[in-house]
Amino acid sequence: MSDFIKSTKESNGIIIIETEGYLNNVGGEAISAIVYEKITSGNTKFLINMAGTKIVNSIGVSILIEIIEKLQEVNGKIGYYNLAPIVAKTFNIMGLTKYSTVYDSEENAINGF
Amino acid sequence: MSAEFNINDLQQKYLELETLLDLTNELNSFDQISILLQEILVKSCGVLNASSGLILIEDENSDVLHIGADFNVDISVLKGLIFNKRKGIISEINETRKALNIQLEGDSFLSKTGCKYGLIAPLLDKKNLVGIVILFDKESRQGLSPFQESDANMLSAIATQASVAYNNIKLIENIKEAKTFNDNVMQSIVTGVFTTNLMGEINHINRAATNIINLNREEVIGNHYEYVFESNEYINQLISKCELETITISESQILLDCNGKSTTVNISVSPLLNDSNEPIGSVVAMEDLSNLDKLKSTFKKYVSKQIVDQLLENEDMLNLGGQEQDATILFSDIRGFTAMSEKMTPNEVVETLNDYFNLMIEIIFKYNGTLDKIIGDALMVIYGAPNATDRDTENAVLTAIEMQEKLIEFNQNRIINLKEPIKIGIGINRGKVISGNIGSKQQMNFTVIGDSVNLASRLCSVAASDEIIVSDAVWKKIRLNKIFKSKKLNPVKVKGKAKPIDIREILYYRPPFNYNLAYSKIENYLVNNLPQNYTYHTIEHIRDVVDQVEKIAKREKIEKELIADLKLAAWLHDIGYIWEPNRHEARGVEYATAILNEMKFPKSKISLIAGMIMATKIPQSPKNHFEEIICDADLDYLGREDYDKNSDSLLQEIRINREITNKEWLEIQESFLLKHHYHTGSSKKLRNKNKNIILKKIQDKIKSYKNGTSRT
Repeated sequence: MSDFIKSTKESNGIIIIETEGYLNNVGGEAISAIVYEKITSGNTKFLINMAGTKIVNSIGVSILIEIIEKLQEVNGKIGYYNLAPIVAKTFNIMGLTKYSTVYDSEENAINGF
Repeated sequence: MSAEFNINDLQQKYLELETLLDLTNELNSFDQISILLQEILVKSCGVLNASSGLILIEDENSDVLHIGADFNVDISVLKGLIFNKRKGIISEINETRKALNIQLEGDSFLSKTGCKYGLIAPLLDKKNLVGIVILFDKESRQGLSPFQESDANMLSAIATQASVAYNNIKLIENIKEAKTFNDNVMQSIVTGVFTTNLMGEINHINRAATNIINLNREEVIGNHYEYVFESNEYINQLISKCELETITISESQILLDCNGKSTTVNISVSPLLNDSNEPIGSVVAMEDLSNLDKLKSTFKKYVSKQIVDQLLENEDMLNLGGQEQDATILFSDIRGFTAMSEKMTPNEVVETLNDYFNLMIEIIFKYNGTLDKIIGDALMVIYGAPNATDRDTENAVLTAIEMQEKLIEFNQNRIINLKEPIKIGIGINRGKVISGNIGSKQQMNFTVIGDSVNLASRLCSVAASDEIIVSDAVWKKIRLNKIFKSKKLNPVKVKGKAKPIDIREILYYRPPFNYNLAYSKIENYLVNNLPQNYTYHTIEHIRDVVDQVEKIAKREKIEKELIADLKLAAWLHDIGYIWEPNRHEARGVEYATAILNEMKFPKSKISLIAGMIMATKIPQSPKNHFEEIICDADLDYLGREDYDKNSDSLLQEIRINREITNKEWLEIQESFLLKHHYHTGSSKKLRNKNKNIILKKIQDKIKSYKNGTSRT
């Protein structure tokens, strides 16, 4: 597991990935590696707890978009919670929120799936 | 579908603009430089897709930068590197002041990070480089790539905003630092300082000031100075004047009365001005003099002002310990004081010694002597220790001479006051001594010890009354100075010395009888001792007689020197009223003879004075020209315009002891005036006419009594 992935767990059939650090190329690749692996295992629902990620760049966002594209192929879904305002704003500007959902808490995220 | 998700340039530019806007808004909200720098770096990395970054920031007062923030960089590889403004890539940025795209290779310190590409932008304070922002390795889905020109522009824009925020924080930090510094300085200084604003309210005060005015800070801050200093109208006037006239005012030794505590201060009030030189309040500085005064007044009882100031400036002088040095030592001793004191009450002994020591110590300090000890009636004085000068011995001898000279005056006063004169002998020696603060830590005394000190004491014992005896060592030091004269005496054998010691007597000017001093002392004695209920024989009458004596003597062409004797007799002619009014002339002669003898007044002149005093006895019986003059002066008023006033005063005085009617008084006056005649030609000429007019008036009044027409 990369340093960026702090933990992964499964709850109600949803894979919850907790991140820490810069969501850039490296961070994005670390997320996509887990998501792609879990897709092959049959998981299609993913939540990312971004409490430990205070900064994101457009490459990280573009990797998330690639992940969304991949999940759309398997009727999967990805969502995020505990976003720092700047991260939420970047997701919004980069169009990410059109295709995925930002939740304000883990509970709402799980219920929302 | 995938085309829909492509991140196009527009989105990226939008993100960049939003980020820049956010930074602009946010940066000013930071109040710590470290947090600000971290935020700048992280957001710059994010918006420009940099994989990592550094901010190097200036060190105060040097050309070296240090790491102010880092993001995703292993900074351990940079440990020990010196980021010099004047070298390499930083120097280039320092010169161009523009963002720079670089490829990291070769021996650039940045290549130690393992990154390939760099984007560097300057952080500027006006034109000075205060830091640099470095972003590493632009990320893309194809891997790492160099930064673009548009990235450089973006980073420049961010860096410009960041510089403003950085400089603002620095400014605030500097202001806070300056305030803290000022506060610390204000609190630590012993001078009391407070400031007032335009409204006259006290807005700052330091600890020393609260101590001086005896109020808590909370009781002062926010209150008008007139309220705080309501019992000190003068302070309020000073501050008010400073406010109105915008001038600095300083006053010394002002007594402050603050809440039951009185303190003497030196005070200075200055206007506070803003950058435009407009008044914004006042600053008041108060120097508490109470401790210094106490210290100085205590010290000054023992040492001269010079030594006090030296001690206050150099505390090391207070350390125990000694040093060998040359010094001049003076001893003086009152001759026969034990016998004299046996005739006095204890209070008189103390009063006499205090009067004597006050006079002597003033002279000692005048010549920078250090009063080492008062041993009974003896004084020990040091010259040249702790600090030596070229004039130490000269000063010691000048002190001795002035002591003897001033004692003559002092004794004249004592004699006139019927007190026994004080006679002193003085001995002075110069030589090696051990000087220092000798004693215990609880009680130490600055003194000198050694053989030379003992010899000075022995010389004092050798000196007779009025004499100043010095050793050969002293004379060698001063003999070239023509003001000193000495007489070689036979060598003396002193205790502790095997061989006789060569000694000299310093000769000094012993002034002849000082008439003016005698007049003033006698006048003072008369003022203090003449019976208070007398209305005619008062100090005014005696002053009048002295005045008339001089005038008549001049008219009679008497020599100036002899006029002095006439005046002395005039001052003394009624002094006997103090003790025996009925035989005051005889009692006055006894007193005059005693004091004039004691004052070494020529004996032939003493009988002249005595004769003049006795001649004034009614009926007057002058036997020579001088006696005629004083007799005419004593009754000069008989032919003057102010006759009635004198006559009334005399009547009032006579009525103290016996009843007398106005008619009787007129008859007494008539009888007296008929019997009286002036003796000197000038008085006859000047006063007889008016005297006869006065006599006629009195006789007319007597007639009116006899005719029963008098109204009184």
